[in-house]
Amino acid sequence: MPNNHEFYVGYLPKAPSGIAALAKRSVIGLVLLTMAVALVLVFGQQRFAVSFFEFGKVQEFQGVVREWPIPLLISGSTGMALVAEGKHGASSLVAGLEGHSVKLSGTLIHRDGSEMIEVIEGSVQFLGKADREVSTIEDLGTHSLAGEIVDSKCYLGVMNPGHTKPHRECASLCIRGGIPPMFVVRDKSNRRVNLWLLSEKGEPVNQQVLDFVSEPLEITGQVSRISDQLYFRAAPATYKRLP
Amino acid sequence: MSQAYASVGWNRQKKLYDLVMLASVSVYLALFVGIGAIVHPNATVETLLIRGFGTGALLMLHVILSIGPLCRLAPRLLPLLYNRRHFGVAMFLMALAHGAFSLVQFHALGDLNPLVSVLVSNTRYDSLSNFPFQPLGLIALLILFLMAATSHDFWLANLTAPVWKRLHMLVYVAYGLIVAHVVLGVLQAETNRLLVMILGTGMVVVLGLHLIAGWRERKLDGTADLPISANGFVDVCGVEDIEANCAKVVTLTGERVAVFKYDGKVSALSNVCQHQNGPLGEGRIIDGCVTCPWHGYQYLPDSGASPPPFAEKVPTFNVKVVNGRVLIDPKPNAPGTRIEPAKI
Repeated sequence: MPNNHEFYVGYLPKAPSGIAALAKRSVIGLVLLTMAVALVLVFGQQRFAVSFFEFGKVQEFQGVVREWPIPLLISGSTGMALVAEGKHGASSLVAGLEGHSVKLSGTLIHRDGSEMIEVIEGSVQFLGKADREVSTIEDLGTHSLAGEIVDSKCYLGVMNPGHTKPHRECASLCIRGGIPPMFVVRDKSNRRVNLWLLSEKGEPVNQQVLDFVSEPLEITGQVSRISDQLYFRAAPATYKRLP
Repeated sequence: MSQAYASVGWNRQKKLYDLVMLASVSVYLALFVGIGAIVHPNATVETLLIRGFGTGALLMLHVILSIGPLCRLAPRLLPLLYNRRHFGVAMFLMALAHGAFSLVQFHALGDLNPLVSVLVSNTRYDSLSNFPFQPLGLIALLILFLMAATSHDFWLANLTAPVWKRLHMLVYVAYGLIVAHVVLGVLQAETNRLLVMILGTGMVVVLGLHLIAGWRERKLDGTADLPISANGFVDVCGVEDIEANCAKVVTLTGERVAVFKYDGKVSALSNVCQHQNGPLGEGRIIDGCVTCPWHGYQYLPDSGASPPPFAEKVPTFNVKVVNGRVLIDPKPNAPGTRIEPAKI
């Protein structure tokens, strides 16, 4: 039975026994509740994407630069997008090197078979003019696609999760800084397909898409393939927000 | 009590309180980040830390907000209230860690100042589902900072208890902003309904406890405003209605008055402690002093003044005992005015 005459004064050395016992039980209950909430929150989170940023593991890469509209390093039949450190694009790092063989140092970022290199500033070495043309364009027709505009660097692995609403501000800042925007859609087999988003004239579209990132959108435009990279050309004015 | 200020007036209970609180916070973070890293091997440490600090701070805020009404409903839980300010400061530090990690992760190394970026990187103020949730968190963090920075008794004494109390009521604004920050932020991406249910349960508990405690207080005030007699005094109760060394709280012209019985005498003083507006009438007479149940501030029952060298004072009321009935003049005397106790 509780002793209702007990009175607690915090600065006295000991609490009355009944109040102390109740406080102890309450604290134990709170700690157990805390642990339970922690576990529910840990297991209740969505699965994280299998994406990688090999931070701290600098590698050397060699290939042919495609400077425009998305900076790429073409090695064999594989294209790897190039970005700079931080929330910046790599345009200035490969300016004037279109069609040239280079060697560069950087950190690999990869997800779902798409690869990107975070290039270390000052590491790009000119090796010579490439022997062959690297830009063979395959037109895949006009499509209306539903998906989300992401900043490619975070989405491909620098952050995880690197898309959807909680990542919107970061995506906007990255795209503002020159990271190429990517339109992520799902194909008929529900697999993610990544397309580089461009204007209808095939130009970078970074500043025009800032208000549309991380939202469900429907975009109608022209899909094309260069090497293993898919491009999606569409006028930003025609983007449709989906509910 | 506040005659001079030390950074923290440590005592055994405070040390125990802080020790248990810090151990609980450590266990929470260890579980969230440690087990999170095992269950979600692809999650980055930064993400787990951001989420661990954020969810931990929100959980702490729920407990902090529940302690007040819980102690109104069950005064035997007052040990939970005693050092709640340290709990609040610890919660602010958790929220600050969440904010700082997020600021670096999402807004550093870009073309904009990170704080500017928080405010301008999402401009969809016209959409509910896309509404910028990060500025809401930033405003809440600023409020929590203001509260943590003024949590010391120095500020309480210099701002005065009513101003300090109003300032610290901003915690409810911060709570609303944080709930909106979570609902419009991470819950827009997470699909597990359990997360929504946990937040909803927390909100129901906080709101429910406040409503029940408020309803009880309102009922007390509503029925207890007693009529004033012709001679200006109010018959508030019989002497036998007051337990020895305790008080009966009555409402006179809208103000609560604590009527104490002790050593064969009756004294009446304001029910509002000058420290944090605690309910003096729920306190006891200890060592001849009215002792506040919240933090143990003490007042002499006949003068409403704290015993020297302390300087707190509360208003007193003229009191009489006639034929076993306690009569009170509802007009308060200036704080610290000595009134001869009524002899029983």
